[in-house]
Amino acid sequence: MHNNLKTKFCGMSLDSPIVLLSGCVGFGEEYTRIQGFSNADVGAVCLKGTTLEPRLGNIPHRVTETPSGMINAIGLQNPGTDVVINEIMPNLDKTETRFIINISGSSVEEYGEIAKRFDDTDIDAIEINISCPNVKEGGVAFGNDPDMSYRVVELCRKNTTKPLITKLSPNQTDIAHSAQRCIDAGTDGLAVINTLMGMAIDTRSRRPIIGNNQGGLSGPAIKPIALLKVHQVYQVSKHHNVPIIGQGGITTVNDALEFIIAGSSTVGIGTALFYDPLICNKINDGISQYLIDNKLNSIDELVGTLTLNSAISQCDTSSDK
Amino acid sequence: MTKENRGSIQVIDCQILAHYQFAGDQHILTMDSPEIAKATKPGQFVHITVSDALLMRRPISIMSIDAENGTFDLLYKVVGEGTRQLAERKIGEVLSVIGPIGNSFKMTNKKRPLLIGGGVGMPPMISIAQSIKDSDYQPFTILGSEAPFPFDEKAANNAEDYAGATHTMPLLEDWGVECRLASLQNYEGVYQGYVTGLAKVYLDGLSANELAQVEVYSCGPHPMLVAVAKLAKEYNLPCQVSLEEYMACAVGGCAGCVVKVQTESGPAMKRVCVDGPIFDAALVF
Repeated sequence: MHNNLKTKFCGMSLDSPIVLLSGCVGFGEEYTRIQGFSNADVGAVCLKGTTLEPRLGNIPHRVTETPSGMINAIGLQNPGTDVVINEIMPNLDKTETRFIINISGSSVEEYGEIAKRFDDTDIDAIEINISCPNVKEGGVAFGNDPDMSYRVVELCRKNTTKPLITKLSPNQTDIAHSAQRCIDAGTDGLAVINTLMGMAIDTRSRRPIIGNNQGGLSGPAIKPIALLKVHQVYQVSKHHNVPIIGQGGITTVNDALEFIIAGSSTVGIGTALFYDPLICNKINDGISQYLIDNKLNSIDELVGTLTLNSAISQCDTSSDK
Repeated sequence: MTKENRGSIQVIDCQILAHYQFAGDQHILTMDSPEIAKATKPGQFVHITVSDALLMRRPISIMSIDAENGTFDLLYKVVGEGTRQLAERKIGEVLSVIGPIGNSFKMTNKKRPLLIGGGVGMPPMISIAQSIKDSDYQPFTILGSEAPFPFDEKAANNAEDYAGATHTMPLLEDWGVECRLASLQNYEGVYQGYVTGLAKVYLDGLSANELAQVEVYSCGPHPMLVAVAKLAKEYNLPCQVSLEEYMACAVGGCAGCVVKVQTESGPAMKRVCVDGPIFDAALVF
């Protein structure tokens, strides 16, 4: 691993700024089936969204391709908190990377309870998923209401000393306000953004392709939206030293750099793995080379270095006269 | 998942060596990869990037391998944008392939495998036939299609007539694997009816001892698999089926490609990519 990629995130030492995103890599071991893939090549792995009780998830189809992206509605299929703690976590190889559990609840209390359970484990951090668009109760219902977001984060904060990362929904009016509330409630980091709600229709049957009717859109299609959201959230989070995992359609080195410049301390890779399972080292190499080329010693020196254009001249034609 | 599965799937750039089109928008694609040819077990599939324009890969079953020349064959039919773009790929082009993926058909001590493939469900059956052609198994293969068969069917050497079915697939004939064909269309030497109708004709011709040696293996459209599973139940035969579902990662990471399976502890959603694509029919249908 390149030395200049080492970074700190919410108190964790990461070997790379890449975070593999929840829902894309199962419980951490799945992608190691691929020859040449290693969890040691990423800074952290976010495990599959976990609820207190087991969930079967949604009916098929759960995924479908859309222009420059895909829609998914898995529905938080998972074996429940106890199985994750007792049967899955003991097999995680913590010498390779840092592991973050992603938690979801259908009530504030459920979030709090799961956070408390994982507080007693050796998990490195907890990501609070208040933005899953694919379940009937909970999920995005919390994320789209800043006061509910506050209550969820507040209770989790009370129940754990682990680093807390709150995953924000783009499906809300003012994501920066929501970020502020989550910071007020004690989150250590923010994940920006979860998927955008979308739909695809089979014109032969005139039914939605996705079993859940609607789902979360990911992939390059959402990258410009995600980038703007990171920029907006960073304007708030930078004042509190709350770092961001920037995510949403990152597929190339340049995408990753854009997110870092906009204010992300780390970059999430999800859907891009489905296209190229060996993409992580390509992005590691590219970021490292960019730092060298620009005489920067670390990622930190690049985070949030965006210089905005002075957008005042667009209606001003007087100087042409 | 334990660490023993690590590195079992490869990401390989494979060159297209041949690409034939048959009637009904069916295509047979030959790709160069000694690694996949060597590692593939019957029933496994590959996940292919079909063009630069489509980012998501498409899962396609492996039909046969040529271990000597290090190649593998796929049979697919154009059904959507992915397969449409795959059909445009030319000889010499290189596509990114992930594979081989999935569990495989389990060959048991039942020595009379009955292989039933319908449409683009034919390849996994041909894959089994290839893997056991030189063994002491006595397979019987039934291939069904409503489009013209993607091969030139010919009269079988053994001239056995199964209710009008006398013709076979030349490749299987070369392998010494008995095969008959079924279609609702009126093709010469082809059983006119469903694959399950022809299967009944075959099974009813077996002695009780022979019947006890039959295990059914099948792949095809969902209604056909339901009918095959029902038939297997009627004859009290074990039955393994290969399933398909829209797929994203194909390595078990996203849980996008699930099917509902009955387990001892109740229903479970199993991933077609790595828990399957082969399942016990009795637990699925």
